[in-house]
Amino acid sequence: MGLLTNILLAPFLGPVWGTQWTLEKIDRVVRDELTDDTPVKEDLMALQMQLEMGEIDDAEYVRREAEIMKRLREVREWREKFGMSTSGGPVRIAESGESE
Amino acid sequence: MTAAESVSASTDPAPGEGKYVYCIIRNDRSREFGEIGIGSGARVYTVNHKDLAAVVSDTPIVIYDPTRENVLAHEFVNETVMREFTLIPMSFGTIFRSENDVQALLNSTYQAFTDVLDKMKDKIEFGLKILWDRDKVVASLERDNDEIRRLKDEITRNAASSTYFARMQLGRLVEAAMEEASNRYVNDIHEQLKDVSVASRSNKVIGDRMILNAAFLVERRDERSFDERVKAISLQYEDLLTFKYTGPWPPYNFVNIKLKLEKAT
Repeated sequence: MGLLTNILLAPFLGPVWGTQWTLEKIDRVVRDELTDDTPVKEDLMALQMQLEMGEIDDAEYVRREAEIMKRLREVREWREKFGMSTSGGPVRIAESGESE
Repeated sequence: MTAAESVSASTDPAPGEGKYVYCIIRNDRSREFGEIGIGSGARVYTVNHKDLAAVVSDTPIVIYDPTRENVLAHEFVNETVMREFTLIPMSFGTIFRSENDVQALLNSTYQAFTDVLDKMKDKIEFGLKILWDRDKVVASLERDNDEIRRLKDEITRNAASSTYFARMQLGRLVEAAMEEASNRYVNDIHEQLKDVSVASRSNKVIGDRMILNAAFLVERRDERSFDERVKAISLQYEDLLTFKYTGPWPPYNFVNIKLKLEKAT
């Protein structure tokens, strides 16, 4: 019975397992993507370069900078949600054995 | 940051008022740098500990976006300080809750700051970004590279009969020659700047026209020689390359102190 059940249900179970595994993987990929500010920072540097090279004007720069700032804030929020470190904001020296 | 640390309630006064830290210098007395701080010209002054000082301004406890305006404000303070001092730049947006917390930073990192200040004494940084004009470089390759020129002539002569593969082969040749040329330019430029700089660091290039994004650490007394050398090189390559030369900067790319900081919420 066990074997038969497996065989009979295989086409159904298979894809379900497969789907679960895929979802976990997607979850991780999405999480990595949501919490990585490297591409946003690269976009900011590229934007600055475009302004320096005279490829865009000041108004365009300001407009696109605002978009990038929004994306940076979103990444920060996701990082906070996942309990990851963020830069900026209030900090202090981490307490350790040798502190005063 | 370890999980074991208990986040004890801050004993410091003045909730909502923090210290934005720009850089660390060696100075055993307090100093004022004027009303040039981030957030509409806050007063910039020092918090001292022994012979070290943190250059700070008062700020509400906020997270500063790295907008051009904010980054320029941060940068302007460091430039001002740099005229008189060797400095260790702090990363943009670093805020401590109180003067006590800033002193704790200076105290706990005293040795590392001191070592780096010694190492960076009288040194400044220059940025050099080099972009190329793809079309011009391709044209120069077609002129100077026999194999490419021959294949190209062949394709042009037999336009009708020239195969897809011949074109593809040309494309590959050009790609390889471009990469080779880019390496050659970059190596040559590094080589020419070697004896007027102390160290260099290459960062990731930005966009598809850039072939070099480097920082050079230079002795203050060599500033002029470095300057002149860069100008000479840019003249040498003026037909092919665009030079973006910036500085002097604080040694952003040559200081790497890992501060053990935790969130002070």
